[in-house]
Amino acid sequence: MHIATDVLTWVAAILTLGIFSFLWKDNPFYKFCEHLFVGVAAGYTICVTWYNSVRPDLFEPLFLKPLSAVSVGQKLLLVIPLIFGICYFCRFIPRVSWLIRFPMAFVLGWASGVAIPAVFQANIMKQMQGTFLTPGIFARWDVFLWALISFVGVICSVFYFFFSREHKGALKLASETGIVFLMVGFGASFGYTVMARMSLLIGRLQFLLRDWLGVIK
Amino acid sequence: MKLFQFLLKIDRRIIYVIMAALVIVPLLWPLGLGVTSGPRARALFDAIDALPAGKTILISVDFDPSSMPELYPMLTALMRHAFAKDLRVILCGLWVTGAGLADQAVQTITPEYEGKAYGKDVVYLGWKAGVDAVILGMGENIKSVFPVDYHGTPLDSLPLMKEVVRLRDIAVGVSISAGMPGYADWLLYAQSRYGLKVGAGVTAVSAADAYPYLQTGQLTGLLAGMKGGAEYEVMVQKKGYSKAYMPAVAAMDSQSLAHLVIMILVIIGNIAYFAMRRKGA
Repeated sequence: MHIATDVLTWVAAILTLGIFSFLWKDNPFYKFCEHLFVGVAAGYTICVTWYNSVRPDLFEPLFLKPLSAVSVGQKLLLVIPLIFGICYFCRFIPRVSWLIRFPMAFVLGWASGVAIPAVFQANIMKQMQGTFLTPGIFARWDVFLWALISFVGVICSVFYFFFSREHKGALKLASETGIVFLMVGFGASFGYTVMARMSLLIGRLQFLLRDWLGVIK
Repeated sequence: MKLFQFLLKIDRRIIYVIMAALVIVPLLWPLGLGVTSGPRARALFDAIDALPAGKTILISVDFDPSSMPELYPMLTALMRHAFAKDLRVILCGLWVTGAGLADQAVQTITPEYEGKAYGKDVVYLGWKAGVDAVILGMGENIKSVFPVDYHGTPLDSLPLMKEVVRLRDIAVGVSISAGMPGYADWLLYAQSRYGLKVGAGVTAVSAADAYPYLQTGQLTGLLAGMKGGAEYEVMVQKKGYSKAYMPAVAAMDSQSLAHLVIMILVIIGNIAYFAMRRKGA
């Protein structure tokens, strides 16, 4: 057993125990740890954003670098994101809060233009291609079986979300088969969620037993 | 009936204690249940293993400390694999709160391999705001997005970055992601637009969402949750690439026992519920 001598390890261990104390019941120690986490995360985010993005990409070239390093044209170009950035903060001043619409409109327009073709290509076209039954799937029986299950699953699941006609007869059979596939999907997601939560618990206990108390190698 | 009534009224804290005990005991006294590598993890391992020495891989650290137990072992195992194969590694990140994690991995793993040095074999670009703009910019010219690395060193002065100009110069990209932004953004922009081979390491919560991309071949391989990390660690160690401590493998006994107990509790809970309902309770 080699208990840690590093102060920061002790701080992390005590905060971990503070968060775990919520399992017993809500208490001031837990609340302190929770608020500390939120504050530290926000502070860290602001610092990293400033030093990694705002300062090197905007503040330095616009205000600190001489004209020999950054031309007037480049500086003028940087004024646009500066104004857009300031417009975001107008949200806090009721009289001029409408100014936030300009950067929002720019970001939404730009992001939509960039994302829509990419999403269509990667999430719709490729996924539809993956669902098709092509001659290649007959090469092996197991490949054929999985492709068939995928195909039936997709068609039936889509039918479940087809609301233009009452689900009767063949449509009812297809939509109810779709529910089975959806339930299997939800079950898999739930199983994975349990695994994820247990992993986080194990990770913290590994830290306490290994890094803090030194009882495991 | 009294038994069922008792089961349905167990204090949740008793279950917490049982779970804690079941997780702690195998950590102290490992059961050695073993980890077998599945085809999804193997696909990513093989894609990297097949690369000739000198090629460059990109690892995007798209997670923060809250997902560290699941994803950090993947990061260290991937870096060990790359260094052992004499591959070069470029790291970057799309999560602002994860900016320090990649640096920690670089500082820890690089000295394990003799002759490996920062700037020559590994470079950490850091984090930039913008996600899709960052990836698209890297597709054209990495230096236009990251003129300096995480420590403020100009990329022009780093030997590795003289040969790697854009995403097309990278053999395989792996996004170790805890959600959005993450592997989906690399697929949308880097894979479909610049043809980058993309593999993913994801938290177990988001694993089910990643499977369709694997089936279509958009993802080169997939590591799902801590189990995925353990699978990769085992493959790296079996090939003799590393003898380092494997945190994800060490956790698998606890994980298996915890899952077993949860399954038993779910079954018992259902039996008790339906038995009570039949009796009209």
